[in-house]
Amino acid sequence: MKKGFAVAASMFLAASCLAGCQKKQVQPGDVAGFDPGEQYLSLWVHSIEDTEEGQAYRQSVDRFNEVYNGTYFADIEFVPRNDSGGGYSDKVNASVMAGGLPDVLTVDGPNVAAYAANGIIQPLAKLSQEEKGVYLESILEQGTYQGQLYALGVMESSVGMYYNKDILEEAGIEVPEPGNPWTWTEFMGILGQLKPLMDEKNGYPLDMSFPVGEASIYYYAPFVWSNGGDLVSEDGLAVDGFFNSDSMGEAMEFFRGVVEQKYMSEAPIEHLFESGRAAFKIDGAWEVNTVYQNYPDIRLGVAPYVVGEGWKGGRYTPTGSWAYAASSDTKNLDGATELVKWMSGVESGMRIWELSKTFPSTYEAFEQIDVFQDDENYRMLYEQLKEYGHPRPKTPVYPQVSASFQQALESVALSGQETRQVLDKSVERINAKLERYTRE
Amino acid sequence: MGMAFFGPALVLLTIFLFVPMVLTLVFSFTDYFALNPGLTHFVGPENYIKIFKDELFVQSFVNTVCFVLIILPCQGAGALVLALLIHKVTHCKKYFKVAFFIPVVMSLAVVSTLWMQIYSPEGILNTLLHHVGIPAQPFIHSARQALPAIAVMSVWQGVGYQMIIFLGGLQAINPGLYEAAEMDHASGWQKFKDITLPELKPLCVFVFITVTIGAFRMIVQPMVMTGGGPSHSTYTMVYNIYETGTVNWEIGLASTMAIVFAIFVMALTVIQSVLTRDKEERHVNKKTKKG
Repeated sequence: MKKGFAVAASMFLAASCLAGCQKKQVQPGDVAGFDPGEQYLSLWVHSIEDTEEGQAYRQSVDRFNEVYNGTYFADIEFVPRNDSGGGYSDKVNASVMAGGLPDVLTVDGPNVAAYAANGIIQPLAKLSQEEKGVYLESILEQGTYQGQLYALGVMESSVGMYYNKDILEEAGIEVPEPGNPWTWTEFMGILGQLKPLMDEKNGYPLDMSFPVGEASIYYYAPFVWSNGGDLVSEDGLAVDGFFNSDSMGEAMEFFRGVVEQKYMSEAPIEHLFESGRAAFKIDGAWEVNTVYQNYPDIRLGVAPYVVGEGWKGGRYTPTGSWAYAASSDTKNLDGATELVKWMSGVESGMRIWELSKTFPSTYEAFEQIDVFQDDENYRMLYEQLKEYGHPRPKTPVYPQVSASFQQALESVALSGQETRQVLDKSVERINAKLERYTRE
Repeated sequence: MGMAFFGPALVLLTIFLFVPMVLTLVFSFTDYFALNPGLTHFVGPENYIKIFKDELFVQSFVNTVCFVLIILPCQGAGALVLALLIHKVTHCKKYFKVAFFIPVVMSLAVVSTLWMQIYSPEGILNTLLHHVGIPAQPFIHSARQALPAIAVMSVWQGVGYQMIIFLGGLQAINPGLYEAAEMDHASGWQKFKDITLPELKPLCVFVFITVTIGAFRMIVQPMVMTGGGPSHSTYTMVYNIYETGTVNWEIGLASTMAIVFAIFVMALTVIQSVLTRDKEERHVNKKTKKG
């Protein structure tokens, strides 16, 4: 009897420890600032509170609660994520199964499609044209799946074709105007022209690599888009005829050419561009800040992103970042939509720039931040984003598409494998993942 | 009363170990998808057929086996040699022990980042090679060199642990045995072969099995250093399981891979321990069976 009691007691103890994790209904007064009469909105963000980014979110939520005092109360929870997206997404996945998703959560731009297709997030309440017009087209595009707007974001991003002004002047090369970018062929010619000079400097004309992870598709998918191609079909549910199209193959072979001519190093060399040993570098917008802060000797310029031969002036440059969406579990879609709009709005955008130097997502925020007017490089990046920003492929199997793109680049450009064969194999692999969405 | 101490552990083990193990087995027969658990179907052995047809799974399997085949002799023999040397030296014994053990204490992620610098095109290793007239090597940026490069780093990181185990074993050998051998004018090699090795045998088995299992579980190094590339040359089984489950959200398929992986490692461990079992032991076992 005694033994049985001991066992029961210990089990109860352990079970109660676990039950502590159980989510319960939040009542007014449970959280500081949540008053009777207010509607409670929970929010998850993929960040640590102590970072600049986290602080920006915290301040934006505090402001929301001030402005909407008496109507809504938003409660923010910080869920750290690691580099590959684990941690935060594990928590989301667990909540999808066990319940307990918040009203609003952050989603990485390219995952909007998968979350929408699987019913984790729902379309936002209807926004008027005026409300939508606040946001850059690229951010609306990123948040739209199958014709419906699911997400808005506070952050945008851009990638620059940076150049070293001194080197280009030395070689007598003029950079074209924004609306008139170099085509691949022209750019190849320029790299060739720079090669002897860069050999002298013990460097390369171009500082680039095909890194594993998100960067490769983010930096180099524009080469396919500006060549008249696409990685996936319009509805995101087919890749055959897209991922293995001629435009795709040509882009891959362009990169192979760059590697074969030794215009870039096969193995990435650190700080090649920053140390003045490369004429061009393709990198995220953060590079501008890095160069300004740490390499003041480099005279930095941003050239228009290179395009394919058949470019007709369409959108093609890299964009995208984490966004806010309303979860399917929320009973208060209007409130959730208000929160999404606020968190992605002008004021929040200016704050995210101020604290973490991440690009905002609204026209007004860009116009109010001086540096996007005064600094030629930042202005170039903003103009590019505004005029030519193109979201990454919108498909529920995005992770596989992203990984396949990087692997194809590596196999074709670096290992010299047969392009067609590599791309067909990628299509096969992506199709296996698409099966889940196409069989119904 | 014993149950009161045992109970909490049992509950926690059940929740965090036994239940997940059983669930993994169950999930391995379903198409469980993390983003949409509501649509889960029972698919029978389909996943098992699928993964063996999947070139990538086979490649990750081959990569892992190659890695183990490089690691096992290097780390085993390396640890033994280091232990013998340290056992021999009379000065600064502690220093050497600590020096070789430090990498074990360091986080693998830190070690990997450190070696990325060492292996970089203009890193210390290539600079050294340059001085002896060897052209710069791509190391982790080449599909052919990446896996061996990571293996070398892993040996460096892990060898200290096995070295300490062997060192403990060496110190436990009865010195009388060596004295007796010396009286018979045995050579150094003979002493090593006929005294040291047999005395260390149980430890060797232990080291073999732990190194094997540890090497099979490799994921941190490629994750930090190469992302499984170039061209999947460093993509390991555990990495594949991780990516399938968390990046592509396919819990069902990942569970199947995990089960296959677990069965394989278990089988290998059993084979290893049977092969390395003492002859005498086997002999005794036979006798008792007969009796």
